[in-house]
Amino acid sequence: MNAIEIRNLSKTFGSKQAVSGLNMTVPSGAIYGFIGENGSGKSTTEKALCGLLPFNSGSIKIYGKDYLDEDVRSSVGVLIESPGCFQNYSVWNNMKLQAANLGIANADAEIRKVLKLVRMEGAASNKFKNCSLGMKQRIGIAMALLGSPKLLVLDEPINGLDADGMRIMREVLTNLAENHGVTVLISSHILGELGKIATHYGIIRRGRMIKEMTAAELEDSCRTYVGLKTREMERAKALLACKYTRVEEENDEIRVYDAANPEEIVCCLYENGILVREIQTRKIGLEEYYMDLMKETEGK
Amino acid sequence: MAVQKASRNRHRFRTMLSVDLRRMFTMPMFYIMAGIALAVPILILVMTTGVSGGEDASMSFTSAWQIIGSLSTDSSAMMDMTSMCNINLLYFMVAVLVCCFVAGDFQSGYAKNLFTVRSKRSEYAISKVVVCFIASALFVMVFFAGAMLGAAIAGLPFTMVGFNPANLVMCVLAKILLMGVFVSIYVIASVAARHRLWLSIMISLMAGMLMFMMIPMMTPLDATVLHGILCLAGSVLFSIGLSCASTMILRKASVV
Repeated sequence: MNAIEIRNLSKTFGSKQAVSGLNMTVPSGAIYGFIGENGSGKSTTEKALCGLLPFNSGSIKIYGKDYLDEDVRSSVGVLIESPGCFQNYSVWNNMKLQAANLGIANADAEIRKVLKLVRMEGAASNKFKNCSLGMKQRIGIAMALLGSPKLLVLDEPINGLDADGMRIMREVLTNLAENHGVTVLISSHILGELGKIATHYGIIRRGRMIKEMTAAELEDSCRTYVGLKTREMERAKALLACKYTRVEEENDEIRVYDAANPEEIVCCLYENGILVREIQTRKIGLEEYYMDLMKETEGK
Repeated sequence: MAVQKASRNRHRFRTMLSVDLRRMFTMPMFYIMAGIALAVPILILVMTTGVSGGEDASMSFTSAWQIIGSLSTDSSAMMDMTSMCNINLLYFMVAVLVCCFVAGDFQSGYAKNLFTVRSKRSEYAISKVVVCFIASALFVMVFFAGAMLGAAIAGLPFTMVGFNPANLVMCVLAKILLMGVFVSIYVIASVAARHRLWLSIMISLMAGMLMFMMIPMMTPLDATVLHGILCLAGSVLFSIGLSCASTMILRKASVV
């Protein structure tokens, strides 16, 4: 069964179409990376999914049930924008309030468990306003984990986290998905981090889902390229552009996409009196794939 | 199945109510307001009595009960200072408390957490009305205690002219019950304004001002059971009606 099924979701704010006929399928147990530019409709979709924003048309189902079903709602953990804590309350008291709202019987043990999971057990007595940005994000995730949710919706959860915080987050989310069957919908601009944990991807642009794929499909569709450096970059680029369909200059190197082998390129340049200083075959990552897709869909 | 669902709903509402009560009674604002409710009558009674020395009847209190209300037969009661600076001021003070209480939910993001795990907006609106009503009822009692203390300090007479202790009890009870009407208006204003505290306070104070004149009429010092029933009926009707309206607003509008 799919954890999330969104069909033809549309939402307008005045005359602005935020989401337009969006379709999205998140399989159960997946870590779904939800990617898109600022203002592409990610947060609007997530807010609608969490029942925080009424939409104009479409349908949302969570584990086959209507998204507003009471049982469904209590099985969703959310971190959208901010953790939603009272500044003057301690971390513990904020967690207690959410535990009470969820109707958790053994609240103290549950709070201790989730705080330990995000390595924040030592900060329980701190006032929320005294916590750092990274700590607040972790507390938000701990809060989302209260009540052992089956679905986690996280909007930019790694923003403000240090390297250790990001690693912890990776471990926690991977563990939840792999060992507890929790489905995670995560949106982030830090594509490098997302690429390390996501099993599925959805790419949204101007309120429309432009691509949905698994991590394996992404791997297959990520093209290889030959990256090279010479002293005569401009001339080398012009020469290679005559022979290959796609040659680009990026990060002080020339990238030749879909090239059969690097030796051919070296020979071609050598014959024209250009010496290659450095050459390597690489595969584009999620970030480059995303940027390529954005370029392809530009103006469509 | 239906019985199970009903019992689960009841349990959920009870937990929401307990969370709201805990929040209200741990809010510093509540205790500040309670302190003001206690201090204001003492200050008013002591200062006005001391300053005017009882020379100007419209500027000073001549009885301890004047700060609680006026007789229904007293036609000048609407205009003079004693009827303006009395317990009815609480209806404005409560507006600020309710607005801060509800706006705090939206400003902190607590409402977002709440509505993610619970889809029933009606429980939220009803719970807010109930909790704010309890808090405002406590303010009325605190103000009453402050008034008695202030009158004793100022040396005002406690003689009852034109009413009896039963009328006085009914008057205070009617004032408490009437709070239900005002609290539901303030809650809907706060829900409509959500995180914009200034807007909710503005709407609430304006609504409070519009309805201010009805307070002495509905809750005179010589109040009878009829006054109590009228206030109760108004309170129940407004609470139910405006809670439904608040629910509609919360369903139609974004809570983030």
